[in-house]
Amino acid sequence: MSRPFVRSILSANDLLTGRVVYLTNTDGWTNDIRRAVVFDDKAEAIARLAWAEAQTHQVIAPVLAPVRGAAPFPTSNRDRLRATGPFSLAGKPAQETPSARPSETPHV
Amino acid sequence: MLHDVSIPYPGLSGCPDYETLDTRTLLARALADPALGRCALVSSFGAESVVLLHLISRIKPDLPILFIDTELLFAETLRYQKSLARLLGLSNVQIIRAHPRDLSQTDPHNRLHISDPDSCCNLRKVQPLQRALQSFDTWISGRKRYQGGLRASLPLFEKDGEKHLKINPLANWSAQDIHDYIEQNNLPRHPLLEKGYHSIGCKPCTRPASGRTGRWSGQNKTECGIHLRNGRVVSRPAAAVLVRDGGFVVKDQQSETAALDLPGDTALQDLPADLHNHSMIRITFSNFADGRGFTLARDLRRRGYRGCLRACGPLLADQYSMIRRVGFDEVEIPAEHARRQPERLWQARANWQAYDYQSRLQGWTRGRQHHI
Amino acid sequence: MYEYNAFDQGFLTQRLKQFRAQVAQRLNGALSEEEFKPLRLMNGLYLQLHAYMLRVAIPYGTLSASQMRALADISERWDRGYGHFTTRQNIQFNWISLADTPDILDALAKAGLHAVQTSGNTIRNVTADPFAGAAADEVEDPRPLAEMIRQWSTDHPEFQFLPRKFKIAVTGSPKDRAITRAHDIGLRILRNDSGKVGIEISIGGGLGRTPILGQVLAPFVPKSDILPMLEAILSVYNQLGRRDNKYKARLKIALQELGMANLRESVLVKFQQTRREFSGGDQSFLAEVEHHFALPPAKQQSLTPYQNAMRKDHALSRWVQTNTRQHKYADYVSVTISLKTPGAVPGDATASQMRLMASLSDRFSLSELRVTQAQNILLPHVHKADLPDLFQALQKENLSSGNIGLVSDITACPGLDYCALATARAIPVAQEIALRFQALNLEHEIGPLEIKISGCINACGHHHLGHIGILGLERGGVETYQITLGGNGLKPTTLGERTGPGFSADEILPAIERLLLGYLKQRTNRAESFIDCYRRLGPLPFRAMLYPNSENEKGPEHAA
Repeated sequence: MSRPFVRSILSANDLLTGRVVYLTNTDGWTNDIRRAVVFDDKAEAIARLAWAEAQTHQVIAPVLAPVRGAAPFPTSNRDRLRATGPFSLAGKPAQETPSARPSETPHV
Repeated sequence: MLHDVSIPYPGLSGCPDYETLDTRTLLARALADPALGRCALVSSFGAESVVLLHLISRIKPDLPILFIDTELLFAETLRYQKSLARLLGLSNVQIIRAHPRDLSQTDPHNRLHISDPDSCCNLRKVQPLQRALQSFDTWISGRKRYQGGLRASLPLFEKDGEKHLKINPLANWSAQDIHDYIEQNNLPRHPLLEKGYHSIGCKPCTRPASGRTGRWSGQNKTECGIHLRNGRVVSRPAAAVLVRDGGFVVKDQQSETAALDLPGDTALQDLPADLHNHSMIRITFSNFADGRGFTLARDLRRRGYRGCLRACGPLLADQYSMIRRVGFDEVEIPAEHARRQPERLWQARANWQAYDYQSRLQGWTRGRQHHI
Repeated sequence: MYEYNAFDQGFLTQRLKQFRAQVAQRLNGALSEEEFKPLRLMNGLYLQLHAYMLRVAIPYGTLSASQMRALADISERWDRGYGHFTTRQNIQFNWISLADTPDILDALAKAGLHAVQTSGNTIRNVTADPFAGAAADEVEDPRPLAEMIRQWSTDHPEFQFLPRKFKIAVTGSPKDRAITRAHDIGLRILRNDSGKVGIEISIGGGLGRTPILGQVLAPFVPKSDILPMLEAILSVYNQLGRRDNKYKARLKIALQELGMANLRESVLVKFQQTRREFSGGDQSFLAEVEHHFALPPAKQQSLTPYQNAMRKDHALSRWVQTNTRQHKYADYVSVTISLKTPGAVPGDATASQMRLMASLSDRFSLSELRVTQAQNILLPHVHKADLPDLFQALQKENLSSGNIGLVSDITACPGLDYCALATARAIPVAQEIALRFQALNLEHEIGPLEIKISGCINACGHHHLGHIGILGLERGGVETYQITLGGNGLKPTTLGERTGPGFSADEILPAIERLLLGYLKQRTNRAESFIDCYRRLGPLPFRAMLYPNSENEKGPEHAA
């Protein structure tokens, strides 16, 4: 069963740092999602994914991530979180605050 | 249909000395000569391919052009191939690929090029080309003498196996000739040339460098193998390697005639009753992550087996101390595996008795200092 | 607590050298990613959503002050200044690079810490009752046994490539705060009627996509048989565990498929052999190592200032009521430091919080700390006289929430915010529930309540064991949260029951609110906790609270 191809970018993790990287249109890797090459053609996307899987000296776990819009904007929660990093409820990066609301009185 | 030919091809009819012909005439005569049968051009659409493609396009634009897509090519090559074919009016470009079944069997994770580039070339170039060439009698390649190495004494015509003739029309072209031709005819060059590449093959095995030194750089390989004649890349199974505490040892076939072979997942109840009669038992690991062989070895020792226990399979040097501690005496690894896991990696783990927590616990006596 | 000697240090030094070589071989191609991955996992390094994650073992949840300080230093030097304490008593650093990992392991080794076998198909960190050695209700401190098992399992040559991961837990208390029935092997130290000490071995428990409680393999085993039995169980599992399907490879599945009778027989046959390999050395070791865990005598100090403070300071007395537990010394308590200040990320601590906790443990708790399965930190041995000063000091770093065991003391896995396996986010759900009930000022009104949230079916948040469990899944690209009720970690360990269709991210908080407000209406009195009320009334009234517009739980899907 094949689903219609959705335009996608190619993301992976950098081998050395583990950070999320995106394939650019010059076959390089960037951590800026705005510079990711967008694939409209399924065959090309699959070919580039196969190529990326062979780049084991640079990246690991390459995947195609469906996107929409010009930004490009990933459509899945996972890919969005990979692009933005984890966020706490208050919209601030979770690691900045041990508590989103500093309290004046001890909690009871 | 091909008449019997010998190297070098003595006769284009009526023209004994074709080394003096200009390349264009040579090609025009060859492509019109029925003695050469069905012809094809094999082109990589690489750094200098545009010359021969342009020549062909002026003579016979519908000549079959075989383009090998290894599926590991640069995106730029794929795009260049399409746009150049369109520009030159080449209407019969045939894309050759390995069969998906072969790929998934032999190189499912696309990393064969790291462990065994010869086999990767064979899988993705040599075999597919050989299959494709069965439909032809003569093929044309763009190799040149100035490229050096194995190409330094290239003839214009050569016999290729039993059934084929190969033409190298650019054999005596110099680098300057190539450059001038491209300039004079205003031909588009491969986009990667701007980035410092001088010879362009598959992406994993190509680095920017001059001449062909960027291909398989750092390895002993200079040819992919499609031009090697007796020379089909044949993987000769090299002898397996034995690993012991002292290092690598060559196998002695004689001593193993009485060996018993057991797969690592052999169940206890399936062990043969006569196992003690064998001086050697070889336990095979189908892959390094299947740990059942370790338990089997321990069980055999618990049953009192005193012979030689050998672990066979693609095991990692990092497993050596586990292998020895559970009771194996030695390891047998495939030769290809030994290339990636060379002797010094195994030697680094030869001190398998050090820091053995389990033995230390079992042998603990009160009050004694158990530092080692 | 146990202190490393030259052997332990030497082992780590050698291990680190091996790991450095493995990283180099990965980078130069001698090892493929497929070959390197199990080696990297054996050293605790995962690939997660955003970076590598390093999971550091805290053996049976016991940590020294200097070790806590070392973790703080590491978090600042090589991570983003914080760490996450997990439901298996480990700590995780989320922003690690492969290139730094050998240096980090080196720094850990200097502090007597490591990441050996915290991942991969190996025997994992042995967990224990976090109140071990302190609790009044203990038969015996389980930690000497846990330490012996830790050493026995470290780099065990036969068991580095098991069919799947293997988890062992030990408890010395009849309450079983180690949740032994949710482990591949659970060990409970018991005393029989004649006063003899023995160990009950259960096997085949586990949460995850098929939660199953372990069954008793042997009801009362002498300590001298423990290592031979573990050898036998692991050996049988190594051979019989499935290797064809990752989701059916745990011991719990083998137990389901083979049945206890068959499995027990295989284990006992193998035990006949393994027992011959132990001639008492392990027992000598055990006797010696017990000294490491002995408690010094109680200090004598007047309780009057403390009693006065309790009368005057309402906040203090509330905090003492929720966060302290009875100790075997009459004038002592064990204090839980809450890492669940409402709005905080459950289980996370910053470097400065870690340093404060370390220095407080130096001052007040014999330099010892514990990690709990609920992602909080425990100071095990605190004299009551010190409680006012301790409470005061904790406020500096927002560590003084008096919410242990209450609605806002939520256990939540990192979820989709961090984890590559997750299907939904768990942290924001925990945060919004905690903040809501704090704002409503209902935490004490509701009373004891354990909410546990998992961001995927692997259940690292232990949602099956929550009085209220929340499981975050994904349907059609949208997060959906399913609620289970009635789970319990303490004996008798019980798995929660599913209530019905999932709720969207916007609907989950209102659903929980309905549930808890409904409970407040339905309970007989304040003394009846949520779980007691659930046990009395059964699931139907609670489903009605969750799905007020349906006849039953098979109503319309609440998919967004």
